[in-house]
Amino acid sequence: MLKGAEIVLRCLRAEGVDLVFGYPGGAIMPLYDALDGSGVRHILTRHEQGAVFAAEGYARSTGKVGVAIATSGPGATNLVTGIADAKMDSVPLVCLTGQVRSALIGSDAFQETDVFGLTLSLTKWSRLVRSIDEIPEVIAQAFYWARSGRPGPVVLDLPVDLLKASAEFHGAVQFQPHPKSVAASADSSFCDTLLALLHQAKRPVALVGAGAKLSSATFELTELLDRLQIPTFATVHGLGAVPHNKPYYLGMVGMHGTRAANTALNETDLLLVFGARLDDRVTGEPTRFAPHAKIVHFEIDPGQLDRVRSCELPVVGDLAETIPAFSNAVNRASLPDWSGWLAIACAPDRAELESRGTAEPTIRFLDELFKRLPKDGIILADVGQHQMWAAQRYRSDSPRGFITSGGLGAMGFALPAAIGVQLANPDKTVLCISGDGGIQMNIQELATVHRLDLPIKMVIVDNQYLGMVRQWQQLFYNRNYAETDLSDNPDFVAIGQAYRIKSGRLSAVAMNEEELSPATRQQLERFLQSREPELLVFECPPEANVFPMVPSGAALSEMLLEEDAS
Amino acid sequence: MYVFDVRYRNTQGTLMRILNAVSRRGVDLPYVQAQPVEHNHKVTLLLDVNPKQVGQLCRDWRAVVDVIDVRAGARLKDVMDHDAWVATPHPPASTFEPLDPPHQALA
Repeated sequence: MLKGAEIVLRCLRAEGVDLVFGYPGGAIMPLYDALDGSGVRHILTRHEQGAVFAAEGYARSTGKVGVAIATSGPGATNLVTGIADAKMDSVPLVCLTGQVRSALIGSDAFQETDVFGLTLSLTKWSRLVRSIDEIPEVIAQAFYWARSGRPGPVVLDLPVDLLKASAEFHGAVQFQPHPKSVAASADSSFCDTLLALLHQAKRPVALVGAGAKLSSATFELTELLDRLQIPTFATVHGLGAVPHNKPYYLGMVGMHGTRAANTALNETDLLLVFGARLDDRVTGEPTRFAPHAKIVHFEIDPGQLDRVRSCELPVVGDLAETIPAFSNAVNRASLPDWSGWLAIACAPDRAELESRGTAEPTIRFLDELFKRLPKDGIILADVGQHQMWAAQRYRSDSPRGFITSGGLGAMGFALPAAIGVQLANPDKTVLCISGDGGIQMNIQELATVHRLDLPIKMVIVDNQYLGMVRQWQQLFYNRNYAETDLSDNPDFVAIGQAYRIKSGRLSAVAMNEEELSPATRQQLERFLQSREPELLVFECPPEANVFPMVPSGAALSEMLLEEDAS
Repeated sequence: MYVFDVRYRNTQGTLMRILNAVSRRGVDLPYVQAQPVEHNHKVTLLLDVNPKQVGQLCRDWRAVVDVIDVRAGARLKDVMDHDAWVATPHPPASTFEPLDPPHQALA
């Protein structure tokens, strides 16, 4: 006979889980009581949001299911932002929440919330567990749905009486889903249609999204693109899926994408979309997105098709299957010569302009950090201007090397997520970049970093503003900087030291020299190579802006450049 | 008006997920009927949506884990004969009355 809590942990181990992130409380206490000797290592964060973001970082960097645990009521509600984040960015996540005892459910008991109802629209699947006998089947289902198809979050709500009850445990089970009546995969005839479209196209382009990484199809995709030789660009989550030094690669596309990418996307007559959901940050004004193009959309989630813009040819399925099928067809076919179009799309006159205004020191700082990072280093960015600059300057080819909250844009994501990333990748350098606004949303996780002695390299880009909001206020609200002033920030170096983390600062002035001074070079190298947790506060100009920028409601062709705004 | 039939396994929350796909779009639900059908369940919805929303809803529903099948029905007038209840106005969400003088002074 085992307690429900022990059965939960045994089933987690059967799913390959050996690391969970969480925060204890009353209703989930029996689960914590059973941790010792279970083979599941628990990482205590200092806020449940820290736990769920850490679980996400673990999942995003490995492809495995991240697990977060919280108690009932406020513990569970504190997970909601992370659950929403996982849904938007297709992160496999299982959240276990404690719940009040079964007889009290629905009575507004102490620390009771309707977590099941609250998270219905944010989860792929969820269950309020009603009997101890259900536990093995429910956990098997939870992990299946979290990782299958388009990955996403799942919530299991566990009443405390079930965790305390005892039952015979006959072992973990495997879950077999019912087959869907609607076929969820493309048949091979799509290749013929797609080849016909390619033969008609004069200016084809390719857009690569997160799906390429989630399906582990980046190698096959790059081989296909090498054959096609067409202008290619990536969403923020597609960065690293295509090697950045490919002659046809134009960088990131969208609201803060490169001039070359946005221009090519505006001119194209055939857009091949590989594992991207055509989010509005990528399309700009949807009615004016790729105005001359037919769209071929490779996508595993049928719900993402025709959502923002209709496509001529949907190719539903896993890229791991559809790309090889299409590659075989392409390799047997003769293709038109698009070299003239490629030369136009990649021409020097479409490259980024040199002048970066007051953003120059920060952009240079990021470049200096990135070029010193090992090839397999992992960069996390929080949300804001620093995120966009980091995405624009990312040059690595590691598919899981750039991690950020893209779809939800949740500030406070990066630091706790870096904890999950570092634990999953103990031998890699993990660089965590936050703004002065975002770092304060989960700054308590410095305690977790210290306790675990995780050698995360934490950077705070401190411009004393909520920078991205300030930028919009400058450009579109007559410089009315309402509630974005953070000039009374605390001393982050002192805070880092209070958490017993080695901390230092670097001024933007150091980036003004044509050659970095020996002292600055040494500081950066020591910071990155240290085997301890380190915090570096970069004090940068307050009113720098991220360009190019496509204003809200504008087409990609209407992007603002630095000189337009000044 | 369109009629939709969504067949599903009546597991925890599945009906709520089907209805939520509608409500999150700010679309009203003037008519909903759920009933067992053979070994599963079916919910019939009558919705005032445009053709683009028809496609979006059908795709969202098919993505729900325990949804088995989705049929987008013909327009209301071709299928049903309930002009009377369709024309019934929604009850108001709330009513407003003027503040009495003491409260107006405080406002």
